[in-house]
Amino acid sequence: MESIAATSTGRRTHFSRGPIDGQAFKELTAAGLTWLRTNQQVINELNVFPVPDGDTGTNMVLTMQAAWEEIANSKEVHMGRVIHQLAQGALMGARGNSGVILSQLWRGFARALAEQSELNASSFVEGFQQARDTAYRGVVRPVEGTILTVSADMAEAAKEALSKKLDVLEILEQVVTAADQSVQRTPDLLPVLREAGVVDSGGMGLFILFEGMLRYIQGDSLDTPEVSVQPLSALDLEGAMQEVEPGQDYEVIVDFRPGRDLDLTEFYADLEEMGSSIQIGEGDGLYRVHIHVPLEKRYEPIEYAMSLGTISKVRMENLMAQMEELESQHAGRLQLAPVEPGQIAIVAVSPGPGISRVFAGLGAAAIVGGGQTMNPSTQEILAAFENLPTDRVVILPNNKNIIMAAQAAAELTVKRVAVVPSRTVPQGLAAMLCLDAGGDFDAVVDRMHDSMEQVETGEITTATRNVEIDGVQVKEGKIIALHNGRLVLAADAVAEAVMSFLEHAKAGEFELITLFYGEDVPKNKAVEIADLIRRNYPEQEVELQEGGQPHYQFIFSIE
Amino acid sequence: MTDESTALGHIRISRRAIATITSQATLKTYGVVGLAPKNFLDGLTNVLVNDPAHGIQVGITDGLIDIDIYVIVEYGTRIKSVAASVANAVRYNVEKTLGMPVNAINVHVQGLRISNND
Repeated sequence: MESIAATSTGRRTHFSRGPIDGQAFKELTAAGLTWLRTNQQVINELNVFPVPDGDTGTNMVLTMQAAWEEIANSKEVHMGRVIHQLAQGALMGARGNSGVILSQLWRGFARALAEQSELNASSFVEGFQQARDTAYRGVVRPVEGTILTVSADMAEAAKEALSKKLDVLEILEQVVTAADQSVQRTPDLLPVLREAGVVDSGGMGLFILFEGMLRYIQGDSLDTPEVSVQPLSALDLEGAMQEVEPGQDYEVIVDFRPGRDLDLTEFYADLEEMGSSIQIGEGDGLYRVHIHVPLEKRYEPIEYAMSLGTISKVRMENLMAQMEELESQHAGRLQLAPVEPGQIAIVAVSPGPGISRVFAGLGAAAIVGGGQTMNPSTQEILAAFENLPTDRVVILPNNKNIIMAAQAAAELTVKRVAVVPSRTVPQGLAAMLCLDAGGDFDAVVDRMHDSMEQVETGEITTATRNVEIDGVQVKEGKIIALHNGRLVLAADAVAEAVMSFLEHAKAGEFELITLFYGEDVPKNKAVEIADLIRRNYPEQEVELQEGGQPHYQFIFSIE
Repeated sequence: MTDESTALGHIRISRRAIATITSQATLKTYGVVGLAPKNFLDGLTNVLVNDPAHGIQVGITDGLIDIDIYVIVEYGTRIKSVAASVANAVRYNVEKTLGMPVNAINVHVQGLRISNND
């Protein structure tokens, strides 16, 4: 592993441009692996195939890691023998689909180069041909738009470069360029990529691997995805505080004029040891560094800049203090309940931000947005709980149209999932109150079922068409009230509908009336209605909550 | 047959349909160079007709789907990884197209094909 560390310092390397023997090829492999690792997360995020066997970036890194370990301590200078060992290592360590294909590519490469003590142009190009052929032989129905296609395009580019009598390094340049273009074309060949709006992850990994080798030869850093120097004006300092990593409490900005030429790669590498979120700007020989550093290192960037030249300006800010200020402004942010492994987690579907907050406050572990006209998909519900660290989950759909999707989600997982079929938000809230996160699963689910039945739900909304249901005549634009999901009355004004509904639901016989006002209802209007109810129902407790739900002016819970 | 009740009626899905989806997904998986007869009769029928269920056995008990896949794998690949990829691809495709969970997928490597000696 040591020689990987040596290549990953981010400093300019001195790859001798002489013949490439086994040892030189070893260096290139380490460089490819390092660059692959640097970009691992980028590749992982391209996954469209939600399979649990891991991410493409990680699989390819692990495969190359195994390949590298096979040659890491080898003193062998014979090119053919080194690459044979490498291919062997890749085979043994192949992980996932892309890893297996990668190992086959190396196998083909090794076969073509078996007798070569050094890498020459024609054997290098033959390597790419054999790699492609070997890879394609390993599958009955090759899928185009994948790593296979990229390997074929690389082989084609290599052949063309050879016909132009280019040398090994020039061929590598051509191949890497072709790989890049090929990766960009993958969505044209594979519809599933186009739908997801990504390029193929395996093809991307292959490109990155060879790009790493090329970068190493060219002396580019393998550490950070590209050192970028922007014009000073482009450094937006006010907006720079996007994210603060824990521990990086201070933002330091230093303007300085270097005394001698600045080696940017080295400069960047040194800064990286101090902190993160590094940005460098340049204009008229003046450099501006922007960096986030921990408390104890807050003077280091300044001292470092001083050692390089003359400082003209310094600015330092405590990000944590600023963030806390911002946080308090967004005090309404959703605080979901943490779940311990083995506990029962609640996934609630909520039609509005206020209702989400109430569910979160009662201990919901995940909230899925959705309601009357915006039903969440099975996938969205599944995604909400798949990553929770527990295997016992209760879903509260809180709308009759979502119960089916919730049940479908429950069947698509290995977790133990119960859908408590709450048809309205108040039913869901009533069920929520029975949550005993550490309790017996079946008992908790039973209690939720029972309590759900004990709450009366009222919904006040505006009719969107003329209709007659259950003997109630409704004209478009009228205010209607639903009692436990059934249309019970229509009125001209909201207040009138509310009062008639409460009378219909015999609210006088209950103890608590909670009303959630919707996104279209101004708060003062909601308070007026609540006061009206209080005057008419002095015996009952009346609670007003911001629901934020669309379409429904009010949702009532009567218990 | 698996059965699913909906408000409008029943949806029935035959083993053969599941086998076809499985077969397609398997043959697209890298490292698989063919499906193998699961027994003598299967081998014989496949000579006579092109059977989509060739090399694939679908069992349904109490609504749970179990799939057995008999494959030939390319020599020189990591068999464990290939088998895992087959299982993942089949599970994903069957569950995506049918919307029903698969209980178990067993991949039987019946043989290796050597296309290159090295």
